[in-house]
Amino acid sequence: MFWRILKKDLKRKKTMNIILLLFVILCSMFAAAAVNNIIAVTGGIEHYFDVADVPDVTVNMLISEENDLGEKIGELACVKEIRTEHWLCVSNSKYFRHNGKELDNFANVAFLLSDREMAINYFDENNNIIESVDKGCFYANAPFLRDLTIKEGDEVELTVGNSRLTLKFMGRFKGALFNSGSSYSPYLIMNSADYDYLDRDEATHILNCKQLCVNTSSVDEIRELAKNYGGVYVYTREESKGIYLYDMIPAYVLMIISIVLMLTAFVVLRFTIGFTVSEEFREIGVMKAVGIDNGSIRSLYIVKYLAIAVAGTLIGYFCSVPLGDMMMKTISENIILGSESGTLMGLLSSGLVVIMILLFCYNCTRSVNKLSPIDAVRNGQTGERFRKKSFLHLGRSKLPQAAFLSVNDVISSPKQFSIMIVVFTLCILLMTIMSNFALTLKSEKMLRFFDVPSSEAHIMDSEIFGEVFVDQSTYKQIIADTEKLLADNGMPGKCTITMATQFETSHEDKTAKITFSVMKGEANDTLYVDKGSAPQKTDEIAVTVSTLEDLDAEIGDRVTVVMNEKKHEFIITGTYSSFTSHAAFLYKDFDLGKLPANNMWGVQIHFDGNPDKAQINQNIEKLRDLLDTDKVYSTSDFIKNFTGISDTLNAIKQMMMIITVIVTALIVILMERSFISKEKSEIALMKAVGIGNGSIILQHSLRFVIVSVIACIVSSTVLMPISDAMMNWICNMIGDIAGLKCDFDPLEIFVICPAILIGVTVIGSFLTALYTKTIKASDTASIE
Amino acid sequence: MNTILQTKGLCKTYIVNKHQNNVLKNVDLTINEGEMVAVMGPSGSGKSTLLYCVSGMDKVTAGEVFFNGRETAKLGDRELAKLRLDEMGFIFQQMYMMKNLSVLDNIIFPAVKSKKNSESRRQTEERGRALMHRLGIDDVCGNDINEVSGGQLQRACICRSMINNPKMIFADEPTGALNRASSDEVMNELLSLNRDGTTIMCVTHDPKVAAKCSRVLYIVDGGIVGEKEMGHFDGGDKELRDRERELNNWLMEQGW
Repeated sequence: MFWRILKKDLKRKKTMNIILLLFVILCSMFAAAAVNNIIAVTGGIEHYFDVADVPDVTVNMLISEENDLGEKIGELACVKEIRTEHWLCVSNSKYFRHNGKELDNFANVAFLLSDREMAINYFDENNNIIESVDKGCFYANAPFLRDLTIKEGDEVELTVGNSRLTLKFMGRFKGALFNSGSSYSPYLIMNSADYDYLDRDEATHILNCKQLCVNTSSVDEIRELAKNYGGVYVYTREESKGIYLYDMIPAYVLMIISIVLMLTAFVVLRFTIGFTVSEEFREIGVMKAVGIDNGSIRSLYIVKYLAIAVAGTLIGYFCSVPLGDMMMKTISENIILGSESGTLMGLLSSGLVVIMILLFCYNCTRSVNKLSPIDAVRNGQTGERFRKKSFLHLGRSKLPQAAFLSVNDVISSPKQFSIMIVVFTLCILLMTIMSNFALTLKSEKMLRFFDVPSSEAHIMDSEIFGEVFVDQSTYKQIIADTEKLLADNGMPGKCTITMATQFETSHEDKTAKITFSVMKGEANDTLYVDKGSAPQKTDEIAVTVSTLEDLDAEIGDRVTVVMNEKKHEFIITGTYSSFTSHAAFLYKDFDLGKLPANNMWGVQIHFDGNPDKAQINQNIEKLRDLLDTDKVYSTSDFIKNFTGISDTLNAIKQMMMIITVIVTALIVILMERSFISKEKSEIALMKAVGIGNGSIILQHSLRFVIVSVIACIVSSTVLMPISDAMMNWICNMIGDIAGLKCDFDPLEIFVICPAILIGVTVIGSFLTALYTKTIKASDTASIE
Repeated sequence: MNTILQTKGLCKTYIVNKHQNNVLKNVDLTINEGEMVAVMGPSGSGKSTLLYCVSGMDKVTAGEVFFNGRETAKLGDRELAKLRLDEMGFIFQQMYMMKNLSVLDNIIFPAVKSKKNSESRRQTEERGRALMHRLGIDDVCGNDINEVSGGQLQRACICRSMINNPKMIFADEPTGALNRASSDEVMNELLSLNRDGTTIMCVTHDPKVAAKCSRVLYIVDGGIVGEKEMGHFDGGDKELRDRERELNNWLMEQGW
């Protein structure tokens, strides 16, 4: 008998059941995609390093006759395996020509690698391991391809010193230990014969580098050994993950989006199930009245929802595959993402959706136990009431009739409409937060996290400042030359250079490898500190919170550093935020002598007289001509180049807008259709008493407009605190960032995004409300 | 007397499972202003369908329906809605109300929508309260619709049907869901309205209700097969008993 009731119910309440099925599909789709993405993001790098065979330690060093570190490491008992890569260098992009034109698309030195010496697994675009490269061919990684229109099979001419080669482009490759950020060094893999030909030319040995990939049981022994050599950098597998700092920002953003979408779908699902169960009260009452026990009644509905849930989650799971791929596309370009566990977890998450639905259903049908048969027949109303449904009175309101009814409906069913407001708020926040992130990550306020002072132009051509990588003291000449160039050409300004070098640093019994930055030249602003004060003397430093934790130190403590074979003591005066987690900032007068810089951020220029944006752009153009390079950037381009994620986030933002529009439209259509189904008797009654279709459609559409407007107001109120908190949380995962305030575009946040949400809501609800036209006044008599 | 409602050859057909079901067959009917007409007949004879067709709530398959001189079939949805709003009132067996509005707001709802009255909202509300007072339900003005008895709710429905001073009220078994006492109260209100000049067409199964009407139509298988002039009922138990007896006899003749 129950099966017959169930079969009949599925047929008779087709619309509501289809609506429920669609929400289950949505929910399952987002849940599976979210779980898959979370697994891919959180375990992504580890998986990538595994398949790429990244060793326990990589040692980067300059090759010289007296540097026998490679041999010494090989002699250590803890070392199980050493693989070596020798890199040739091409010091300028201009040495490459494509279609007869010199390349000017990358700023740093390019490195060349032989297919004979690939120490780890490199992958082509299809994620296949590159075993060898044909003679006369090459693969290149992302930085080489920046702003370059090149396709597979195109030829590139390379002229270094007296050597010349024409190489055919075989495609882009992924290298787990190479930073794919557009501002980093490009790497090219070529055939060993071509490599050997170039190797013979001295010009490819300006930076004579090699990388040792070492599998060892003791990283400390290698570090201890490396201390005795200059210009040697040791990175553990864990430290190498830092390469993906900026790749991880969009990945974490995607993870948050997935979670929010999943929550949205669950909230809507809970609402829909509650809604459909409340529709069944009359039938429940009849069943109770004829003596069917509560358990049997509940099991009838649970079985019904189980059938819908299983069908919905199966469809949803298959739909989640393209959705997850679309969401991960932006980050999968640089990483090999694992999918084996993702598939299983996706299926598990779908199973979880089924359980959640049944729990929801169990929860929603709890009222079956409480209601007497007659209460149930009266649609769950007991006749008792402890508060007024609405404080509005039609007679005292000045609102037009349709508007009054809409407002009154919203106020009368606060729970129902609050859930919708929450869902819409989440939808709009997805768009606006993305907008804030994209804007903030290219704003000038990010400069300080790169440890550079506020400035208007940035020279990034390594030919101009490359010498500091060999001898830091050359900064004086670089600054003097640049300032003179500026003054001679009518755009006077001050220049600064920030250089960074790693040193072993000790506090009491704790030791850590800390990157010390120092800013040289004259800047208008001092270091921005979060706590304490900026260093004012040469024996003072500000440090990041991670450094304090590494050294178990506090502000006011003294730390010891050996620099240039001389022991220095520094007092920690404050903490600052930086994308370099384990870092310290020296006072500008501190002299690091002729030590090679480990890292630097180009030459920063602050023009005199506070020129406007147009003037700055003009100066930048002029500088490009004078220096014969395109690598002079405005601040926003500088940040964009370094993080390389602003564009990615923009892409995610656009994708989010599309997803939000689709999700919002679906929610609106399905909800409105549910409302119409539930309110059929009222609609018929309104028509019977002479209310026209227009008024009814207006009333139904207005309810959604009210909800979406409230959602826009709520989201505008909470947007900035949420954006700031999330931005700091994400940035904190990759660096030591605190107190970052997000930028926002008022037009986008307060006009465009709300307009999209309200527009979709109005169109969706209006079109769906047109269905009320099919309800006739005479239906009043045939309604249950 | 002026004719307020007239039908000529009215037909209504439903198609169910490819079978044609002729619910109304060539119904010719005339109702004059000030009449109170009861429509009686066995279940499924087409009483309610006739009510919905003549009131413009349902479309007719063939024939003509004139309300106050206007042919309703030629009116668009909007004009038809306006006609129902301003010139007709409806009372249903089930006391349908808007669940999110209080009893008073439900009553004044059509008046707020109507452009017939140039009064302010407050005046409309006062009028609604006065109607409720007249029908003895003014103590439940602010109540939700699930907080009043069936009799009170049906009287509220009568108030709603009266709020725009309609020319005619259509009632579909208005006392069908009420007990005898409530049923009498509701009928007395309808009688009172009729005495004030409102035309009433009422579908009923109850001879006691029909006995209070001025004319009774008997419908079988979609056609009017009998019609009985009863004259206006002026009140009084004895007269009602006599009318009831007379009507019952007539109904027996019709095959009731």
